[in-house]
Amino acid sequence: MQTIPEINAKISRHEARVWTVEQLKARVREVGVTKAAGEVDVITSGTFEPMESSGAIINLGPTDPPIKIRQCWLEGVLAYSGFGAVDLYLGATQVPEEPEPGRDWGGGHVIEALIAGRPVRLRALGQGTDCYPRTVLETTISRDTINQFYLYNPRNAYQNFLVGVNGGEKTLYTYLGPLQPNLGNAVYSNPGALSPLLNDPDLESVGIGTRIFLGGGVGYVAWEGTQHFPLQKRLPNHTPLGPAATLALVGDARQMSSKWVRGCYFRQYGPSLMLGVGIPFPVTQEAVVAHCAVEDEDLVAPVVDFSIPRRVRPTFGMVNYAQLKSGSLTIDGKKVRVAPLASLYFSRQVAEELKAWIEQGKFLLTEPVAPLPRDRNFIAQEPWSPTYTTS
Amino acid sequence: MKKRVTLTFPPKAVQTPVTYRLARDFDVAANIIRAQVAPDQVGRLVVELAGDMDQLDAAIEWMRTQDITVSSTGRELIIDEESCVHCGLCTGICPTGALSLDRETFRLNFARPLCIVCEQCIPTCPLQAISTTL
Repeated sequence: MQTIPEINAKISRHEARVWTVEQLKARVREVGVTKAAGEVDVITSGTFEPMESSGAIINLGPTDPPIKIRQCWLEGVLAYSGFGAVDLYLGATQVPEEPEPGRDWGGGHVIEALIAGRPVRLRALGQGTDCYPRTVLETTISRDTINQFYLYNPRNAYQNFLVGVNGGEKTLYTYLGPLQPNLGNAVYSNPGALSPLLNDPDLESVGIGTRIFLGGGVGYVAWEGTQHFPLQKRLPNHTPLGPAATLALVGDARQMSSKWVRGCYFRQYGPSLMLGVGIPFPVTQEAVVAHCAVEDEDLVAPVVDFSIPRRVRPTFGMVNYAQLKSGSLTIDGKKVRVAPLASLYFSRQVAEELKAWIEQGKFLLTEPVAPLPRDRNFIAQEPWSPTYTTS
Repeated sequence: MKKRVTLTFPPKAVQTPVTYRLARDFDVAANIIRAQVAPDQVGRLVVELAGDMDQLDAAIEWMRTQDITVSSTGRELIIDEESCVHCGLCTGICPTGALSLDRETFRLNFARPLCIVCEQCIPTCPLQAISTTL
């Protein structure tokens, strides 16, 4: 139909026809896939949801005398420092070592503070070697006083997820927020038909090197995400029945905005990071439009009972996203309130923002450098694995 | 009948055993919902008063003679628009439907008249965007 360089030429001339996935779906409902495919060049998708496998790489620059940092805290939150002398990795779910009552925060909040340009207290201990003699460093940093500051997120943009409920007797505090007993509420965390990878079920558009919207700046798909599981069971429309493909994402945090990168905290669970991710789909063939036409009714997730604390938890069957977005669900004859955890409102705004960038000619599309693997299985950890026993 | 009121005490009235006097003199049960009282400081108390209607009015009149400000506007929820990301997690916890998501825009809606200030949403909010006026 058309190539990515041809689409980029249109973008540069401000002639590209760009729709959000929602506009595309609405148009396909009216005129069908083939006609809609002839009317659009780029489709934008977006999500805004907690993505806890996220973190920031920071390089402080050498001190005088130099230090080889072995332990480091940013606002009291431990950052990993077991690599380059003043390289740090600050994880989103790291908790402060000395919690303060009434102040629930963690790595995600420190990342947000740096992106917002706020000063952050740093304390570090060094090993003390002949070449790095300094052993203590106490200072204040901001995004403008450090060398590199980029997000490297090992697992983002989950292609589908699950719905959490609690069939037990007491409230559970989870990564989906509080789950009230006796099926008191249900929480889903994926924005369904808005979600980037549910619009590209076979990973035909997205690949390694794909340029994306990440936290309000430009980012890239770096690799397959951790727990990438494209072999998850799928519906005839190729969308998965549960958690499936994931992406590792990277992007310059200095371009990002604290509107799209938010520290968050789940009571009695811990801190995390809410993040906006937007992915464009070049309409190079009709199949791209056919996949993006998928509706909430055609996407399902399993309803999982968190009261059984095992890896494989019992489920109450599958539910579609149209039902979830209606705000209530019937489980075992009981009406259950359903709340999202992804912000559907912000997810839409991410897709709109990315659309605006492309229309303004500020954002060009990329061909993947390499495809994402489609054959990864899901390995679970067996602590009693007979492979490693000795007799 | 029941009436929920907010009492504001000047420092000198903090010494008055208000709830005891309400019970003894007016047969009014005062269920303390929230209190913020310390010696020599302005104190605040949110109470649900239960009793005969005339007795309630008399009790409130007496408290006013003690320089206690009685206000029937109780605590209210405050949602910080800057912090809220409209994720909607609170809407699954809210027992009255005061917090809901707009079915079209998926923006968070707060119907203040439906709110009973149970405050379950406050710790539920992952962005710490919800607080109360007291």
